[in-house]
Amino acid sequence: MSDSNFFLSPKASKARLREAEQARKERWDIIKANSHGQVSRRDLIKMGLFTSAGLMLPISGLSPFGRSAFASSNIPTGLPPSPLGTTTAFSTPMPRFDVFPRIPVAALTPAPTAQANTTQQPVDPALGGGTGPIEGRPPGPIWAHQQFGLLPPAIAVDASVEGAKTNTTYNPQVASNMNSGINPASPIPLKFHPNLPTQQVNKVWTYNGTIPPKLMQVRYGEPVLFRLHNRLTVNQNDNGGFGMHTISTHEHNGHHGAENDGFTGAFFFPNQFYDYHYPIVLAGRNTINNTAQDIMASSPTDAGGLNKVPGDWHETMSTHWFHDHMFSFTAQNVYKGIAGMFNIYSGLDRGAEDIIDGVNLRLPSGRAATTGKSWGNLDYDVNLMLADKAWDNNGQLAMDIFEFDGFLGDRMTVNLTYKPYFEVERRKYRFRILNASVSRFFKVALSDGSPMIQIGNDGNLLPHPVVLTQLDEQGIAERYDIVIDFSRYTVGQTVWMVNLAEHQDGRRVSKDLSISEALSGNSQDPAVGKFLEFRIVRDPAQPDISQVPSTLIPNPDLSNIPVARERVFEFNSGANQTTNDPITTFFGPWGIKTDNQGPTLAADYGRISAAPKFGTREVWTLRNGGGGWDHPIHIHFEECQTLSRDGSASKVPAAERGRKDVWRLRPSGEVKITLQFRDFGGMFMEHCHNTMHEDNAMLLRWEIDGAGTPFLNPLPTPIAKPQGVTFMAPDDILPTAFY
Amino acid sequence: MNTQLNMRTWQRLFSPSFMTLLIGIVALLAFGSPSVQAQTTTASDAPVDSSIVLVAKGSLTDPNGSIQIQGQVNVTARRVIDTTSVTSPSIVLLDFDFSQLTGTTGSTKATMKTFVTGGNHASEIRPLQSSDVVIVSTPYYDSTKDALSARTMLVSANLTFDIATGKLTGGSISVGNNVVTAKEVGTVQSAPIQ
Repeated sequence: MSDSNFFLSPKASKARLREAEQARKERWDIIKANSHGQVSRRDLIKMGLFTSAGLMLPISGLSPFGRSAFASSNIPTGLPPSPLGTTTAFSTPMPRFDVFPRIPVAALTPAPTAQANTTQQPVDPALGGGTGPIEGRPPGPIWAHQQFGLLPPAIAVDASVEGAKTNTTYNPQVASNMNSGINPASPIPLKFHPNLPTQQVNKVWTYNGTIPPKLMQVRYGEPVLFRLHNRLTVNQNDNGGFGMHTISTHEHNGHHGAENDGFTGAFFFPNQFYDYHYPIVLAGRNTINNTAQDIMASSPTDAGGLNKVPGDWHETMSTHWFHDHMFSFTAQNVYKGIAGMFNIYSGLDRGAEDIIDGVNLRLPSGRAATTGKSWGNLDYDVNLMLADKAWDNNGQLAMDIFEFDGFLGDRMTVNLTYKPYFEVERRKYRFRILNASVSRFFKVALSDGSPMIQIGNDGNLLPHPVVLTQLDEQGIAERYDIVIDFSRYTVGQTVWMVNLAEHQDGRRVSKDLSISEALSGNSQDPAVGKFLEFRIVRDPAQPDISQVPSTLIPNPDLSNIPVARERVFEFNSGANQTTNDPITTFFGPWGIKTDNQGPTLAADYGRISAAPKFGTREVWTLRNGGGGWDHPIHIHFEECQTLSRDGSASKVPAAERGRKDVWRLRPSGEVKITLQFRDFGGMFMEHCHNTMHEDNAMLLRWEIDGAGTPFLNPLPTPIAKPQGVTFMAPDDILPTAFY
Repeated sequence: MNTQLNMRTWQRLFSPSFMTLLIGIVALLAFGSPSVQAQTTTASDAPVDSSIVLVAKGSLTDPNGSIQIQGQVNVTARRVIDTTSVTSPSIVLLDFDFSQLTGTTGSTKATMKTFVTGGNHASEIRPLQSSDVVIVSTPYYDSTKDALSARTMLVSANLTFDIATGKLTGGSISVGNNVVTAKEVGTVQSAPIQ
């Protein structure tokens, strides 16, 4: 490998590596100062330390990207490689997700309430002292849980976000032989590999402070109360150098009221909790099948039967994730580990492959008759969280928050474990693949080019399965559900999951490689090539009776729903900030232009950019305004259908022809989608999910107009403080926002 | 929010070494440093679309016997200029439409089988160069069976581009067996004791 790329080769000269490490340390002082609130990114840009396009000025001795005295070319040279020591690839098992316990709602103290619980408690002096509410949710009727009486929580999950610690309660919900032999009773220290150092308490923040990452299992018709405690340090200066100790969790992409959406400005502070109420309902529940007559719209019972639920069964969802959404700190906080996955079960997608009732699609999962679980079996239904990471010379998680193009790590992890292996049987498995990176795109293939069957895209099963030998590029936050049939291999064989997407920087994929190229080891991108080893270890104890039906979930028919209006959102660099609110605005190189009017605007969550009317359907165009960048754009709240790419319906790939919530715009590309606004009200977001772009400041707020009492027109903006959330009028309302 | 503190406050909080660093940087800035410009698209940077139809032919060795593959592959290209990139300003987004590729085996009506690709496409990002060899894999399967029975073939495309215009000007496509199959399946290695 040469030195001409993002990360230096381990073979680079010792002097060059020393120089780059020194630059990283010095840069770290600025990163730390920023994350401690001593200086803002806006200040640094004003001072000229950073360009408005984001790249830290390439000054040797400060930026690892500075031209080196040792570099032989004009190409910016990179960071020193994250040290591996004696660690080798594929030498440790991949842990399955750690499943959150489901507890009775009555076990929560205090009991959850429709409106935020404003019981007062002392506020730590580090947070300003005085007293403040125990719950960080904005108070009052607008942020009360919608339809709380109609859809009262049936189960609860009580969790926290906290600093790194050893996991002594790991529960993968599968036997050890389905988890590559991992003994769940053995404590799991927070390491990316057993041979790598334990992460210091504030270097990694996760749900419950532990790894493996957490999985929430829910089912339709069973509302969940997710109580999340913020147990991070009260002193922001103790953040381990990056990350913000105020948090907001987005259940991506739940069809919930806005008060449960993890709105970026509805964050809460250490020592507070936030009650998220996830009703787990089918979209259209008030207008389609509203008396719950259709068995296709159903939820599994514990006894193996089905409960009918209201709504459109074509809106059934399956694979979500949840992650931090702190305003302008999402990249740092998610990179630190605040991310989990969220499987939704239904009559169709049951998680029990042996139940034959004409509704169950019987996708690979496990047998109810074997496990005694009528839904949610995980034996052959595996969550994979892909993320690139980097660590410093001490093996502690490291990040460069000023790489506004996008941050890339040089070490591939799966389920937060460096290049693990996973033992499989000779049968079909379902993998729910999440790209949880900050800026990296993946393109996944098997090392032998064998076919994979894509069954889901983002949260949704596709209308029909698609057979592929290399998946499409997978942008940040996209989820691809695939089935791999390992019966084609023999016991004792291995096959690898391979990344074909090569990056030179965080702007986009620079080149898609063939499998042979990716396996050759010649790529300058350390995250290209094999990253997960499958070991075919045995025949299944019972025959594989799972199926991949030729029809999964057809798209909802929208042909009779008029299009109320169209909107255009153009994603650009060179944004302006037209408002100056010190809390709700952010300044950065990225922004969004709305409806072809005015300038490209940097984020202000006090600004309303769109306000579609409740109960309507709209068509939105998402346009990449620049040349050589890619932006994975996410729209919150309800799944959308893709109408066209670059003006042509035929350019929508087969694996994108279901419902979606994230679209890679592709360089100079344009995507047209359609979506509805129903069932709930409130304020939501739309943003680039390259979270470096999102945080700097490619994000906008939209809200649903006319959702009825108690919603106002427009909605006031919440201003979060430890002593209590206040509200203010919107900073700005774009002229085309409302009708 | 606390990232927006008054400058007079944070100056006192900085370590002496950090302040020294800042002073040094400001001094360096006085001599001028290159700055990445905001990304803008002009008419000459606008994307350029082009497409060609290539006839593909090849044979596969398969457990069903020798399969003759033929058909048209529609290749579309979009040239995009990254106005801020130092290393690869021009890229090409390629789409290969394999939906018209079919295969047959057997010589009699009784033994003849037809193979399809399942309407597969492949999307690729490549740097723009005057000629490029793009190798992708695509599935094929017996048209009377489902996609779970699919196997893999390799498609090798030799494409030529007009560098000046960014347009796809020609090419050829060959189809053959998936040659990575055999060597990229290994055997289980026991993990070292941790």
